[in-house]
Formats: sequence, C-alpha cells, structure tokens
Amino acid sequence: MRPPRLGHDNLGLGVGLRSVHFEHILTHQPAVDWFEIISENYIDSQGRPRYVLQQIAERYPVVMHGVSLSIGSTDPLDFEYLGKLKRLAKEVKAQWISDHICWTGVLGRNTHDLLPVPFTEQTLRHVVERVRTLQDFLERPFVLENPSSYVTFQDSTLDEWEFVTRMAEEADCGLLLDVNNVYVSSFNHDMDPDRFIRSLPHERIVQFHLAGHSNYTTHLIDTHDNHVIDPVWELYRTAHELTGGVSTLLEWDANIPPFPVVHDEVLKAKQFMGKHLPAIPQPVASEASPELVMAGTPEMVGSSVPHPLHHIQPEVE
Amino acid sequence: MSRSLDTVQQWFQAVVTHPDGVEGGVESDEAQALIRLPRGELEAVIRRSRNLTAAERIGIYANAYYARLLECVGECFPMLKAALGEEVFSGFAFDYLQRYPSRSYTLDRLGENFARFLDETRPGSEDGGPPPGEVGWPDFLIDLASLEWVLAKVFDGPGTEGQTLLTPEALQAFPAERFAEARLHPVPCLRLLATRYPVNAYFTAVRKAEEEGEEAPIPDPAPEYTAITRREFIVRRYSISLPQHALLAALQSGATVAAAIEAAAAVSDLDDDALAAELRSWFHLFTAEGFFQAIE
Repeated sequence: MRPPRLGHDNLGLGVGLRSVHFEHILTHQPAVDWFEIISENYIDSQGRPRYVLQQIAERYPVVMHGVSLSIGSTDPLDFEYLGKLKRLAKEVKAQWISDHICWTGVLGRNTHDLLPVPFTEQTLRHVVERVRTLQDFLERPFVLENPSSYVTFQDSTLDEWEFVTRMAEEADCGLLLDVNNVYVSSFNHDMDPDRFIRSLPHERIVQFHLAGHSNYTTHLIDTHDNHVIDPVWELYRTAHELTGGVSTLLEWDANIPPFPVVHDEVLKAKQFMGKHLPAIPQPVASEASPELVMAGTPEMVGSSVPHPLHHIQPEVE
Repeated sequence: MSRSLDTVQQWFQAVVTHPDGVEGGVESDEAQALIRLPRGELEAVIRRSRNLTAAERIGIYANAYYARLLECVGECFPMLKAALGEEVFSGFAFDYLQRYPSRSYTLDRLGENFARFLDETRPGSEDGGPPPGEVGWPDFLIDLASLEWVLAKVFDGPGTEGQTLLTPEALQAFPAERFAEARLHPVPCLRLLATRYPVNAYFTAVRKAEEEGEEAPIPDPAPEYTAITRREFIVRRYSISLPQHALLAALQSGATVAAAIEAAAAVSDLDDDALAAELRSWFHLFTAEGFFQAIE
C-alpha cells in the first residue's frame, strides 16, 4: 500500500510567486506556507528575478511548476531545458517539479499554450515512456497536472480520469490535481467533475491547484484572474477528504491583486478541510491586514486568454 | 482506427496557428495534407459539446494563440507599442509571429527577432517609406525595438552584483607605462547602441510625459549613442558621444587601450591635447559607473 501523497510532505497552503509581489514578500515576509514558481521565469534568469527567488527559497519551501515541458508532444524531449530545470531545482531545493499533461507544440515550435492530447492507448504509451525517461533524468519527485481543456477528440477511447490514473500508475509519478481545471474541463466537456475526482488514485495526488476562471456561459476559460468560485471549493472539499489533505496552491495570473488578497484566498481552503487540517509550520511573520488592500480586488470581467502569461518587466532607470 | 499522435498534433498546430483562423487553418494545404477534411466535417476530428460546435471549441485555442502572443510581444516592446498605437503595433506583431514563430521554451526570447523583422520588412519609398539610403520612420521603429530589447536582455542577463569591479582608485594606481597596452575588461552587462533616431532620449521623454499625463512627440532623426549597463539589478542608461562609443566598442572587442583611443580619435573633432584631457575624464567616469570589471 502506498503512503498518502506518495510520502511527500503536506506543505500547507501556498501561493504562486508572481513578480508584482516581489517587493511585498521581501519586505513583509508574509506567513505563507510555501511558494510555487513558474520554472521558465527563472531557469535562464541572471538578474533580479533569480536573485529574489534565491532569497525566497532561503525562507520558504519552493515547488517548481513548468509550462513548457510538453510531455505529450511527439517532438523529442528537450534535454537542454530539462538540464536547466534540474540545476534550478537543486539550487532552490525544490520539493518537487511539476508540469501539465499536454503538449505545447511540434516541429520545433512552441505555441505557449497547454494543448490537449487525445486520450488513446497510443498517447498513453508515449507519455508514460517520456515520464519515465525524465524522472530518471531529473532525479527529483515529478508530478503532472490535469490541464483545463476546450476540445475533446473523436479518437479518444479513454476518459480523462482513466488516462490520468493509468499514466500515473504505469509511469509511477505523482499527480497535481488542479481542482479548478477539473471543474472547467468538466463543464466544457459535459463531464461530471465529482466522478472525475473520485476516480483518481488519491494516494498519488501530491498537490492541489486552485484558481479562478472566466464564465462565458457556453464554456469556461481557465484565466486565473479571479477568486475561486464556490462549486470549485466544494470539489476541493471532496478532494481533500479523499486524499486526507495535500499541499494546496492558489494561482492568480491576470488582474493580480495585492499579495494579502491572494494569500487570503488560499487561506479560505481551511474552511473546506474538515478534520484533515494540515500541520502547518508557524508563521514567519505577521502581515498587513487584508482589509487595507481589498480596494485592489480585480474587476469581475475575465481576460479571454487562458493559461498564465509570464513576462517580467525590466526595471530601468 | 485512430490517427497517429504526430499527425493529430501537426494538424492541430497548423489549424490553431493559421493566420486566417480555424476555417482557413482546416482548409490550408498543410492541414489538408495531414488530415483530409471536407468543408464542414471538422467533427470527424473534434467532438462537439452540448453548447459548442467543434469549430467553436478549437477556435478557443486559435483565438488564444494570437491573443496571448500578441500580448507578450507588446509586453516586450511597451514603448514601441505605445508609439504606434495598439492596432498598428498588433499588425506588425501579427506578421512577425508568422515569420518568426516561437521555437523556444521561454517567452523571454519571443521578441528576439522583432527589430530584425522590422528591418527585413521595412517599406520602400513606393509604400510610404523613405527613399533608398535615407533615414525615415521605419528606422525609428527598428531603433526603438532594438533599445527595448537590449534593456530587457540587460535586466535579466549576466550582471556583476556581488562582484568586485574596477574602481577609479585602482585605475589611477595602474602603472602608467603599461596603460597603453593594457586591456580594460567591460562588465558582461555593458551594451552599446548606435541608432539613427534618438530613441534613448525618447525613452526618457516618454517617461517624463507619462508622469505629467502628456504624450512625447516622435523625434526627428539624429544619430544617438547609448551605453546600457546594470547595477544592483537596475538597468542604467547613459547618453554617450560618438568617440565615447568608439572607445567603448573597441575595448569591448578586446582592443588595447591604445587601439581604443585610436578608434575614438578617428571619429573625434578634438585636437590631440583636448582629446587626451577628455579621455582622462571618460576613463574615470566609465570606471566610476561600473563599466569595467578589471584591467590587465
């Protein structure tokens, strides 16, 4: 029998590190349990972003979350990129490395989107083999996330949860369950999100993602630009119960409000944990009252562009 | 019998990145060569949902592809985007993404060929550009794109934070008899720009105008030379003269101090004595500003 979370720590309630919050975090050292970084923002950086990350990694647990691995692509794995991931993971003592069950481009191109794969036996074999290869290379825990998607393929012969489960079992990797993505994809594909979550191998779930999305009535888009909606919190309650609690991370990538608002959003997770409250480390320091910054709450209108953009504006005198 | 994964992926990419949208993408030669689909039969590949057709669903990816990358190109060149206006800039960026689609794992390289693209596609005089050999508005766009790209690269590229740099005192103490044949090693973040339009001055003017809620006018062409470096993770810009540019460029290429001075003299209007006096102050200034790592 496998241990919960494949034996990895429950890091508590974390926040996705975004450059607009650098100053706040360095100045106030907020009592957030851990940070997740977008790996591609830092693997090449030799300037301030990397310097800030080094300081944050000295104080907080860090997890690396990528958007360019392209594990489902039929292009070869990019070992230059993987080498950079591996070096940064060592430098920041990353608890684990994650990316998405998707592909981002073929024929050498990168669309910088998380594109869906057909859920077939052929895709499964392809992805499993590549996960095994990169796990051997990375020598660090690796977990894969279910992305939000907007199409399904006629060729698919497996349900998404079946694909995810078999992939994790056969490749022996962990899962990052994005609860919001389950909700978004289930709405878009006329699936039952509760069934999706109940069908996964819960002991393999190492991390949760939470985020807001945009509702276009006929479909949902994963814009990460707003508060988590109540039905997603209810799914989180279910997922928390089924797993016994795992590291939980809030993503906010557009119309980003001040840090305390983002932090408060993930702290709402405590209301949905029931008896499985994690043993969260003591706060590093207290932070400013969130009431002071609620004026910065973003508009309710979402951007139509899914997936986090990651560009850090240069500081120029 | 399902299609091979590589066929599906190449087809999907051809469709969602096609400049004419999903319909144009599906009907394109590239997509048809991969998956032959008669018009209106997209649902042979993509399932419809309760609310959306197959075309509407894959259209979400097609719309997002250009929306996302146009936004990113705009973030790389905010001042150029503001100068051109959203619509005109997006037109350039849209064409750019056709010619130079991203081939990197990082969006940080998305704009690396933009200035080159603007140069490659500069309009001739018959299309509203300047007569051949003359400086005109396309050069302003190219120069401003070059400046913004350099600023971004210097910001996140190699720097000298935490390292010991050459100080004016150490330069002063260097044996005078060895100075001419010595080599000054510029810091890795030092970049030099020679532009046909004063885009660095424009950069400053735009910032000032923004503070005052105004718009800075597009400048007239005039040669401008700029040194750009980074200290304490902040990018610093220096307006320099042509001889200073020649001096620093020569030092950057590995020339001796004597050879670099010759390069400066070749483009200077000053007589030897006046130039010698200027050079002393230039070396002091550039050293004090952290342009050099060492002398040997």
